[in-house]
Amino acid sequence: MKKIDKGDGIADRKELRDSLRAMKRADILVGIPSYNNARTIGHVVKAVQAGLAKYFPHMRAVLVNSDGGSTDGTPEVVQKASIEDFQSILVRHRAIPVFKIATPYSGMPGKGSAFRTIFEIAGLLKVKACAVVDSDLRSITPEWIELLIKPLIDDSYDYVAPLYHRHKYDGTITNSIVYPLTRALYGKRIRQPIGGDFGFSGRLAEFYLSKDVWETDVARFGIDVWMTTTAVANDFKVCQAFLGAKIHDPKDPGADLSAMLYEVTGAAFDLMETYADVWNKISGSEEVPSYGFQYAVGLEPVSVNLERMVDKFRLGVEELGPMWKEVLSPDIIDFLYEAKKVSVDKFHIPSEAWAEIVYSFAVGVHRKVMNKQHLLKSLTPLYMGRTASFVIETADSDSSEVELRIEELCRIFEHKKNLLTAEWVQQGGHHEFS
Amino acid sequence: MNFLDRIFVEPIEQFCEKIIRFMPNMLTSVAMLLIGVVAGSVLRWLFLRVFSAVNIDKYCERFGMMEILRKGGVQEPVSVILSRIIKWITIFIFIVIALQSLNFPSVIMLMDRFFLYLPNVFISALLLFAGYILANFGGRAVLIAAVNSGIRSAGLMSRLVRIFILLLSLSMALEQLDIGKGTIVFAFSILLGGAVLALAIAFGLGGRDIARKYLEKKILKNDEKDDIEHL
Repeated sequence: MKKIDKGDGIADRKELRDSLRAMKRADILVGIPSYNNARTIGHVVKAVQAGLAKYFPHMRAVLVNSDGGSTDGTPEVVQKASIEDFQSILVRHRAIPVFKIATPYSGMPGKGSAFRTIFEIAGLLKVKACAVVDSDLRSITPEWIELLIKPLIDDSYDYVAPLYHRHKYDGTITNSIVYPLTRALYGKRIRQPIGGDFGFSGRLAEFYLSKDVWETDVARFGIDVWMTTTAVANDFKVCQAFLGAKIHDPKDPGADLSAMLYEVTGAAFDLMETYADVWNKISGSEEVPSYGFQYAVGLEPVSVNLERMVDKFRLGVEELGPMWKEVLSPDIIDFLYEAKKVSVDKFHIPSEAWAEIVYSFAVGVHRKVMNKQHLLKSLTPLYMGRTASFVIETADSDSSEVELRIEELCRIFEHKKNLLTAEWVQQGGHHEFS
Repeated sequence: MNFLDRIFVEPIEQFCEKIIRFMPNMLTSVAMLLIGVVAGSVLRWLFLRVFSAVNIDKYCERFGMMEILRKGGVQEPVSVILSRIIKWITIFIFIVIALQSLNFPSVIMLMDRFFLYLPNVFISALLLFAGYILANFGGRAVLIAAVNSGIRSAGLMSRLVRIFILLLSLSMALEQLDIGKGTIVFAFSILLGGAVLALAIAFGLGGRDIARKYLEKKILKNDEKDDIEHL
């Protein structure tokens, strides 16, 4: 295994550039963004190595760890991690060694900046196919690499989105906002648009790199929705691959939900501005081709504190209600004040109201009714309310019933889209989506 | 005859002479006033078109200026407000020129003093305006952050931040105007120090148990949090 030491920033890192130049080119690149993931990244690196050895033994492959300045020895773990006994996983040693690069990224701290470094290296090495996987994964297997890369090489796809089995209460921003919104807007049923583990062609990596978005929220949590939307809106060939269960290390409990929500929704709403001409013409949605053998998986239980969620919703209505009047229709405002009075067991925010809330916030950002960060961060209590309502509704539902609920929400988003389109072009005033 | 001349005719002649001497100044003054009104209206019309052409209303909307004005009860677009301000500044300048052309020494002296004081008024107005913007922005930022953190007294915290910033800008503006210079800073310091002391005592004595419970809940009872993965 050839190792290349980390440098100080891709443009100025002569050593890294020289090494990449010496490597000349590669066929496959697998990127792993990281920040203090020493606990899990070793397993991810080994799974990637095994996947490359098992499924692409004759292709030149490079593994890139783009690190955000970890202090727990993450890059050292990456350098040390290797499979000692290939025989035990029924794989022979590769004819061509996997190059391993552990390098810190430059720019704004965040996942997007880490991806930018990965795109840059992919561009320099002129790779055919790339994949990125999260560094906190516990459920990754070598097959993930095959599923994310093969459709790009064999069937000339440009973008492979992940498809997982997740706990019914996992990925709530995806289920309640990003999936219904991107599906209704761009007409493609990509179930995990912000899944975090993607495959993409070298051509698409170059296209990503040509965009000037690296000083925006895309450099942080917005990267996933940006990658998916950019691929779909620019007519790149898209598919999804079933990867099994997504189990990862618990996120930092101190991570600010409102900041996360702001970055994801902010990026999604900004993309609505960029691609207004694209989504305005689309109605309905269509399936995208899927790869992989789908099977049921056991998932870890998720504990939910309903009382706390509903409390946050009530506090939000009490304090932020007057502010929301600038964005939401009077009917929705009245409904929210009524919902505030209801007990937890009867608490309910219907899908129609939720779709209207999301669309109204998108229109609010478009019309610049107030500071964008304030507006989107004020969505947090409403999102908490909707999540609580979803948990109550699906308390006794299995995963297939939950999927049906999400499907129903998506159809409502699609149904109300023509009203969003009308509101988008209209200047000022309150909007009505019902 | 001489007597009559001295008593009536001479004063009247002197008065008429004074009026005749004063007439050109007065006419100039009135003319200046009229020119000022006309120039103000023309400039207003001209600037309104320029502001519309450069889309100033759109930019103000984007930077949150319109929202602040709306909160202050102003409904008109910024382009209209600015062009109106330009009109009145023009008229005001011409009023000053008109007054100076009257050549009254007392008026000239007053005007000189007024002009020396004018920069202070302008800076104070700017301070108050900046304070108002900052107070609204900061108050709302605190409100949203506190609500998202689940703090019950979010509204109170937001109002306190708003009042604090407004008071700070008011004290700075008054200091700029040389009004009760030392007194205001002193009063403000006492007020702020008193408020902090009162809060410290209130929390330290009255809210001791609440603080303990809060910390226990935060530090020891993390298991009450749910572990939903939002992304």
